[in-house]
Amino acid sequence: MESATQDRPITNPQAAPPQPEPMPPSPASTWLRGLREGTERLAAWISQWSIEQRVLAGFGLVFLGILVISIMSYRNTAVVVKNSRLDTSSHELIQLLGSIEEALIAAESGHRRYLVTGDESYLKAYRGLVDQMPEFSRYLQALSGPSGQEKRIAELERLIQQQLDIETDAISRRSTQGPEAVRHLALPGVAKRELDEIHRLIADLETSAQQATRTRVLHSAGTTRSTIALLALGAVLQLVLLGSVYFLIHHDITNRRRVAAELRRQGELLQAANKELEAFSYSVSHDLRAPLRHIDGYAALLSKTAGESLNDKARRYLQTISDSAKQMGQLIDDLLVFSRMGRQEMLHSTVNLNQLIRTVIHDLRLDLQGKVISWTIGSLPEVPGDPAMLRQVFTNLLSNAVKFTATRPQPRIEVGASRDTPGEVTVFVRDNGVGFDMQYVNKLFGVFQRLHRNDEFEGTGIGLANVRRIIHRHGGRTWAEGSLDQGATFYVSLPLKRTSS
Amino acid sequence: MTTVKPILLAEDNPRDAELALAAMEEHHIADKVVVCHDGAEVLDYLYCRGAFKSRECGNPVVVFLDLKMPKVDGIEVLRTIKNDVNLKPIPVVMLTSSREERDLAQSYALGANAYVVKPVEFQQFISAVKELGVFWGVINEPPPEKN
Repeated sequence: MESATQDRPITNPQAAPPQPEPMPPSPASTWLRGLREGTERLAAWISQWSIEQRVLAGFGLVFLGILVISIMSYRNTAVVVKNSRLDTSSHELIQLLGSIEEALIAAESGHRRYLVTGDESYLKAYRGLVDQMPEFSRYLQALSGPSGQEKRIAELERLIQQQLDIETDAISRRSTQGPEAVRHLALPGVAKRELDEIHRLIADLETSAQQATRTRVLHSAGTTRSTIALLALGAVLQLVLLGSVYFLIHHDITNRRRVAAELRRQGELLQAANKELEAFSYSVSHDLRAPLRHIDGYAALLSKTAGESLNDKARRYLQTISDSAKQMGQLIDDLLVFSRMGRQEMLHSTVNLNQLIRTVIHDLRLDLQGKVISWTIGSLPEVPGDPAMLRQVFTNLLSNAVKFTATRPQPRIEVGASRDTPGEVTVFVRDNGVGFDMQYVNKLFGVFQRLHRNDEFEGTGIGLANVRRIIHRHGGRTWAEGSLDQGATFYVSLPLKRTSS
Repeated sequence: MTTVKPILLAEDNPRDAELALAAMEEHHIADKVVVCHDGAEVLDYLYCRGAFKSRECGNPVVVFLDLKMPKVDGIEVLRTIKNDVNLKPIPVVMLTSSREERDLAQSYALGANAYVVKPVEFQQFISAVKELGVFWGVINEPPPEKN
């Protein structure tokens, strides 16, 4: 039991040694550490970005900055414009209040004179005020909104109305009951108290309107200053943006020039290498074949002149010399064809694969020596390509299929096409021949790679290498599937539009 | 044909020459064959100069011409023959190891009458040379000699 407990992983909280209590960190240092860690994480994250992503992020940030600055400047300007509108209305309010006060004073003193004298001409100011009152009221209402003094203005209107009512009342008593009835009112004035109140209210209103104007002027000045600062910052950001664009374009152009020069140099090197290769294969074609011919020729001459006196063993040796020379000749020929496939100028025309397959099969029939093969030919499309090269491809694939089904009692070969990938067609050649082990599939298309011994199936192992080379030059792909003794399927995909070199 | 006109074989490689002669031997036309070992010798023969100063002048019935030869190569010899009014009628058969398109095209452009690639296999080589010898040396009627 004890040992079992000891074996427990130390992550078990009970078994874990007590952790030393960390010093309680101060809030500021925690915050700083958090900030530092955050920055480090951000830097690590950014370092994973590609150069394009970084450039994009930088541009995005600058754009965002310019956008924010533009919005803020717009809002600042709007504030200044609004302030100036408010100033205008404050100014108008002050003027209006002055006019109203003047009219009230004139009406009050006029009505008092009327009360004393009964002369109706003194009521002119009063009547004028009564007439003007609705307009004053409307004007006040309109200005009360922007000034933010609605309560005081309503109060003012109420007092004015009250004042007018009192005056109206006094005037009507004077006209109906005579001077005696209003004598006690005439000297001190009927609504002196209300009038004082109105004076005070108007003075208040004017003061606060002036004060608001002063505040707004200060505010506007501040806003204007910050707008100017923002616009300056925006200009700097735009300069940064322009500078980066210039730098990037310059960098890009320099890079392109460098790459173009590099490409040109590589092209020249490649051309030189190609020339060398051509000279090499020319020399192989000429010089390597001659000694082979001599080996075979003299072996034949020897067996002819000394044939009678040679024993079987010696004759077999001579035969082997001759066979080997022939085989090497074949290898050289195949290699030359393969090398020519890579260099030869491609003919660009349209190839009808249906016709091509039929021709190839017709040619192969001569080699079948009466062997019956069951052919299944699907519908095949037209493809762009070099007719001779594509013919070589299908001759190789079909003669392989014929060769590797030779041991079957009922050989079957199927050719068909599918269009699984857009823009290309896949042609397959399927047989029920000896097949191959999928673990060697990568060797199939290599030069001189063979999966069978020479005494099983003859051949140099160049056919599928040629197939691959030709199909690659057409911009296509090759692959194969198969299993031992279960037949094989060879696929070539060809683009339906011209893409090749 | 009253006089036996020779077959001119231009072949720098003595083994190839021997094998070719061995092939023609089988058809008893080897004695008609004159072997030159380079292009300069071929031209000397055709123009009856140098080592061939004393030969009885007259064009060969056919020239078998190797491409790769020392001094003057086959293409150069071919060009000289086809640019000379007197030599132009001689049938010239290119007999070479090269199957290069370039060589084929150039030879025919210069006026070669045939182009034969020497087979590596001796039996094929023998039959090729034999057939060539028989066709050009026996079957084919050479152009009339101007005197």
